[in-house]
Amino acid sequence: MVDAFLLLFQWQNLIFLIVGTALGIVVGAIPGLTASMLIALTLPLTFHMNPVSAVTLLIGEYVGGISGGLIMAILLRMPGTPASIVTTFDGYPMAQKGLPERALALGIMASVVGGIISWFFLAGMSPSLARFALQFGPWEYFTLVMMALVMLAVLSQGSIVKGLLGATLGMAFALPGIDSSIGQARLTFGSDALLAGFGLLPVLIGAFAISQILRDAATPQRVERIDLPKRRLPIYRRDFRYVPALLRGSVIGTWIGLLPGIGANIAALVSYSTAKQIAPEPGKFGTGHEPGVIASESANNASIGGALIPLITMGIPGSVTEAILIGALTIHNLQPGPLLFQNAPEIAYGIIAAYLVANVLMLMMMWGAVRYIAQIVRLPRSGLMAVILVFCVTGSYAVNSSFTDVWVMVAFGVVGLGLEYCRVPLGPFVIGFVLSPIAEEQLRASLMMSDGNVAEILTRPYALLFLALAVLTLAWPAIAKRLGRQGKGSEEAP
Amino acid sequence: MNDRTRRTVADLALAALTLVGAGLLLVGAMDLPPPRFEPLGSAALPRILAGLLGLFALIVAARAIILHRSGAASPDAGAGPRPDPMRGALVLGALILYVLALDVGRVPFLAATPVFVAAVGLSIGRRNWANLATFLLLGFVLAFFISLVLERFLFVRIG
Repeated sequence: MVDAFLLLFQWQNLIFLIVGTALGIVVGAIPGLTASMLIALTLPLTFHMNPVSAVTLLIGEYVGGISGGLIMAILLRMPGTPASIVTTFDGYPMAQKGLPERALALGIMASVVGGIISWFFLAGMSPSLARFALQFGPWEYFTLVMMALVMLAVLSQGSIVKGLLGATLGMAFALPGIDSSIGQARLTFGSDALLAGFGLLPVLIGAFAISQILRDAATPQRVERIDLPKRRLPIYRRDFRYVPALLRGSVIGTWIGLLPGIGANIAALVSYSTAKQIAPEPGKFGTGHEPGVIASESANNASIGGALIPLITMGIPGSVTEAILIGALTIHNLQPGPLLFQNAPEIAYGIIAAYLVANVLMLMMMWGAVRYIAQIVRLPRSGLMAVILVFCVTGSYAVNSSFTDVWVMVAFGVVGLGLEYCRVPLGPFVIGFVLSPIAEEQLRASLMMSDGNVAEILTRPYALLFLALAVLTLAWPAIAKRLGRQGKGSEEAP
Repeated sequence: MNDRTRRTVADLALAALTLVGAGLLLVGAMDLPPPRFEPLGSAALPRILAGLLGLFALIVAARAIILHRSGAASPDAGAGPRPDPMRGALVLGALILYVLALDVGRVPFLAATPVFVAAVGLSIGRRNWANLATFLLLGFVLAFFISLVLERFLFVRIG
């Protein structure tokens, strides 16, 4: 770990971390632009960078992107990222009461504390969890991937069937290309362009950036008046009373981040609801109550650290952003998972170190420059979108110097837009695309090892556990509905 | 067309396209060789996914029809500002023309980008001469900067 910090503090890595965090904050502050879009767009640039610099840049963008969302959530009730939706509940009323500086100060402090507490979990749990995961064989990996996919699909907002449909579609789009097991073309329908399959980067940029810009272009935006912070951000000694709330929000955020499919926005919502339920005066929540901002911001930032744990220890993405990070590591011929700690410790520990330093940098940047960052709301949206589209085209092209990738990106932009219109969540779609090759490879290896005997899974306790959890997740909505109906029935009974 | 009908049509279109996709997977899997060195083979996953896609498509279609007949709103129907599809279509059209110009027309990147930025900017923002000049200038500066980075640092030439 000490080596990782020393490596991180080499000037080029540190510069990339500073640039990544700053970019993340700015993009996170702009409503409609997200950390995942920024990471997908900068991925082509990391091709030519050394892996440590690439990882530090992307981690900085991730931390900055989630944190920057609180600025417009508080000042404009327009969350920069979905993770900050809950911050609007109390942050905006505080700003309306003439306390925007206080709301921003609490939000930034809570974000940093959440990030640092989840870092302790990340640094403490990851190496031992990776050692534990070394016991896993192909059956365990296959069932783990399936469990992650099912959780993502079921826990995505909207219909479960559409979540599952999205994941299956994503898996199907990963099929064309050369089947590496037998070295033969599969589902290419005679097209040479499909021999390499659909590139991860054009798919990601298309599904997230292009579809989002097309959607935003079609959605009229309201122009609102913004009261920029004028005084310095106040923090007082009496704020130590918020330590338990900060700890609670951070722990909730970390543990929710660990679960695939439950993003930072749900972490913030659960933390906020918990804070409200146990508060002596729950009625104050939603009216500009300081603990509301703390609960939301500590949890959404902590969820990043939680989500990084399964990513680096088992190669399982908790959200779309982690799926893109997996893509970044794959580009550099690095396989996230337990072997990452053995084969590339500078990357595994580098991610952990970068996460901590990015949080500290985020504090310094946001504390010092929040009033200037808030000015970006005045940027003309039309110009911004045009610029992002040019970056999308050049980013997709730069990967292989091929316009085929650019056309794939445009096509997946349309696919993403169509799926969103039909309320099919994009998260399971993209993660299905990323995880499908891993799932197939592990299933084929499992069946080869067991001579095609599927019953072999019954002798693998962890594989059975993952499978049971997947089935339980799938059945949970029906069980919860039934339990709720029974509870209602017993309440109504005399 | 009211919102409920629009949702039903969207769900039915989704189901139909998914069924077409499932069919393509099955057709593609027919050309693949049977398993030789391992039990599963190359065609197994396409067939499994085709089956699942078919199942989900049928559920989505059935649910859309049932909800439409019962007159209930789709459970996942959301509210928000009504979009203007024309502006989205204009941006998509500009994007396709831009890529066509670079790929097929071999138009230089430095020439195509300012026109594209202006086209997108004016499709979304206010249309006046001042904005046109601003977007053209922005596009030129952006194209110059990007081509400089691509050629000098990444050794990639575009357009």
